[in-house]
Amino acid sequence: MNAALHYDLIIIGAGPAGMSAAIYASKNDMTVLVLDDQPAGGGQVYRHVMQNAAAQNKAQFLGSDYWSGHKLADEFTRSSASLWPESRVWQITKEREVFFSQKGKAHRAQAGAILIATGAMERPMPITGWTLPGVMTIGAAQTMLKTSHSGVDGALFVGSGPLFYLTIWQYLNAGFDIKAVIDTAPGKMSLLHYFWALPALLQPSMLIKGLKWRSEIRRKTHYISGATAVSISGDSQAEALSFTDASGKQHRLEAEHIFLHQGVVPSINLTMATELEHRWCPRQLCWHPKTDIFGESSVQQIFVAGDGMGIAGAAAAISSGKIAAMRITAKARGTSSLNAVFQMVRQVQKMAIRPFLDYAFKPADEWLVPHDENAIICRCESLTKADITKAITLGVSGPNQLKSFSRAGMGRCQGRMCGLTIQKMITDHNSQSDDKTGYYRLRPPIRPLTVGELAALADDTPTS
Amino acid sequence: MTPQHHKDRVIIIGGGIQGCAAAYFLAKRGQTVTLLEKDNIARHASGVNAGGVRRLGRDLAEIPLSLAAMDIWNHLSDEIGDAAMAFHPSFYVKVAIDEPGHIAGMARAEALQQAGFQHEVWLDETEIRKRIPCLARNISAKNMAGGEISGGLVVEGDGWAIPWRIVRGFADAAVRNGATITEHCHVESLKRQNNMWQIHTNAGDFEADIVVNCAGAWAADLARQSGEPDLPLTAYAPMLAVTERRPQILNAVMGILGHTLSLKQLDTGQFVIGGGVRADADIHQNEAGLSIPELATSMYRAAQLFPDIAHAKIIRCWSGIEGYMPDNLPVIGRGNQDGLVHGFGFSAHGFQLGPAVGEALADLVMGQQPRTSLAAFSPQRFSA
Repeated sequence: MNAALHYDLIIIGAGPAGMSAAIYASKNDMTVLVLDDQPAGGGQVYRHVMQNAAAQNKAQFLGSDYWSGHKLADEFTRSSASLWPESRVWQITKEREVFFSQKGKAHRAQAGAILIATGAMERPMPITGWTLPGVMTIGAAQTMLKTSHSGVDGALFVGSGPLFYLTIWQYLNAGFDIKAVIDTAPGKMSLLHYFWALPALLQPSMLIKGLKWRSEIRRKTHYISGATAVSISGDSQAEALSFTDASGKQHRLEAEHIFLHQGVVPSINLTMATELEHRWCPRQLCWHPKTDIFGESSVQQIFVAGDGMGIAGAAAAISSGKIAAMRITAKARGTSSLNAVFQMVRQVQKMAIRPFLDYAFKPADEWLVPHDENAIICRCESLTKADITKAITLGVSGPNQLKSFSRAGMGRCQGRMCGLTIQKMITDHNSQSDDKTGYYRLRPPIRPLTVGELAALADDTPTS
Repeated sequence: MTPQHHKDRVIIIGGGIQGCAAAYFLAKRGQTVTLLEKDNIARHASGVNAGGVRRLGRDLAEIPLSLAAMDIWNHLSDEIGDAAMAFHPSFYVKVAIDEPGHIAGMARAEALQQAGFQHEVWLDETEIRKRIPCLARNISAKNMAGGEISGGLVVEGDGWAIPWRIVRGFADAAVRNGATITEHCHVESLKRQNNMWQIHTNAGDFEADIVVNCAGAWAADLARQSGEPDLPLTAYAPMLAVTERRPQILNAVMGILGHTLSLKQLDTGQFVIGGGVRADADIHQNEAGLSIPELATSMYRAAQLFPDIAHAKIIRCWSGIEGYMPDNLPVIGRGNQDGLVHGFGFSAHGFQLGPAVGEALADLVMGQQPRTSLAAFSPQRFSA
């Protein structure tokens, strides 16, 4: 076994939460290791920001929010925290050992405290044809914009949510031609929306920004709202999208590129595989790790910050990363955590718009479980809704038992694509609560690890 | 749930392969039998083991039982119907990659010959390579033991099965023959009163003439509760890893003489790698530990035999809770008290034995002479 590395704090994920935690902790003389699967800091939201800033041709079309991340990433790069880029963390233990692979080799590191800042992932949108080549997520389209300034003309954008509007706005800014925007959010606001819009007024700039994106999209694209019954057709490649608009009229639009989005949910594969306790959040329809006010999980000295603890956006992530780092540093030094409490007051203000966004863009049932019996749900094992229903009917109490009956969730994505859909199907079929149904029991390695990489940790003969 | 009171002749506690096979054979012979399982059928070691159906390398004392089990495996569809398709017979090989392994393998073949067993034989390198053409030419041996493949022990007809399907198959067959299986039924107390067993559970009270203890890693606790002397059972969680699908290169189940490895390639193309590596288990919390770095040596061994496996991505690792005895032999036999029969402690190699153990337990319950001697597995062997 390689000699273990040792750090006061190991941070997993160099997004806004991870970077701000690393900056604070390293400034306060903690030894910090940051592991991220990208070549540089930034996370998904500020992806490639350092590289883009260094380039001749500044990608201004990405907007001021994106570019605000440059200052953070730059400060992080100049901090004393060491970043090991292109590292995939595949297991952490309750004893705070971190196992990861970098460039084909596995490593082990020991931490005084661990901060999991692995952010969010897009909620899968399992509709008929979503697995056809040519269909991508909005996040993937945005990543192409950020990393290579590339995109396609004539694409269809289907879905809703803040990231949906932002990406379309960036796409327009970048000069790409958009065929149509099919908005799946309900066309009208309900009373509940207006109620939750009140605290959102604490973040007027966010509200104004959102309204600006939406009005520009309405003005500049073929925009259809209140879409239902969306499906994609094509033989070996996406060819057309069919849907019903708010007035009940059916449409069919031809397109080779279709981008889907239905909001984001915390990435829980690492927190779940570490057996931290989680709870179901009915407002965001996803699992949140249980933490105290500073982000410390049910396992001592393992913290969670950023969107991985519940979707709150980049500004709140910067703040929650700092709160966690303050608490971790204070615990290591035996000093007071009062500064973290002050930071928390500012954090609350950064999250004021969240309940409104959660209610306004809460995905309707039809985006969580497809109507079509032949729609694929488990991509790894090519299982349709009918296959899953058949297995559920055999009498399963939760997703783990379903694994043996159907193989759903046993493929290489480890349930990332089908987990929430299958959970909802079981919950609905058994008429039980989501907490009762539970989620897949996730086990390490949570990132792909080759036999050879793991074998490199083997050493049964003592060598000098 | 309203408390219910059931009266049965036989109650089996534990829905693993031993309990389900026993329920099947008892029901088939017309006994009134109920099986109580605290979780669901095949939830623990029986459902998540490596699925090796192996006579190779058995302790001499276990061989007759293992051969009897193989008779049943070879005609499994007669017993459990279509579920038998989850058994994939091929052959099992343990190759020698170094001198100690070679010597041990030859000695083993010799000892079996003298004991009159013909199923396990030594084949030389050429024969082994003929059967497994993709086997590495040179066994890389950086800082670990390794060398040349010089031959190996082989058993024809051994293979692998999808374990939970087989267990489920026995459970379903038991029910078809009239047995009752109650899942999520946790035994809270077990007492002998007026020549009957009184069983108190979360799902009501039961009464039985005979109790069969097939509670796996939980069996010693159950035995103690019933008033039996302490049995030295320890729980661990053997670990396994499965890779993504790869081209078919391996048609046998493989191990290495003198080194811990269990390697097979499923019909899906996925490799299942493990063998002898175990993490901690907590039987009270139902928790099986998992420490992937401990699997590193098995990975190294697998890639020694087939270098291409090094490129395969591991997509899942898992473990299950199993009960181990200090001598690695199971406990099969009558308890000290009347009406109590034990069948547990299989120490991570009980899956293949399951069908024969089920039959033997049925014999013990019905007061008949088992097909093979169970003397080596006596529950009383630790109290002497």
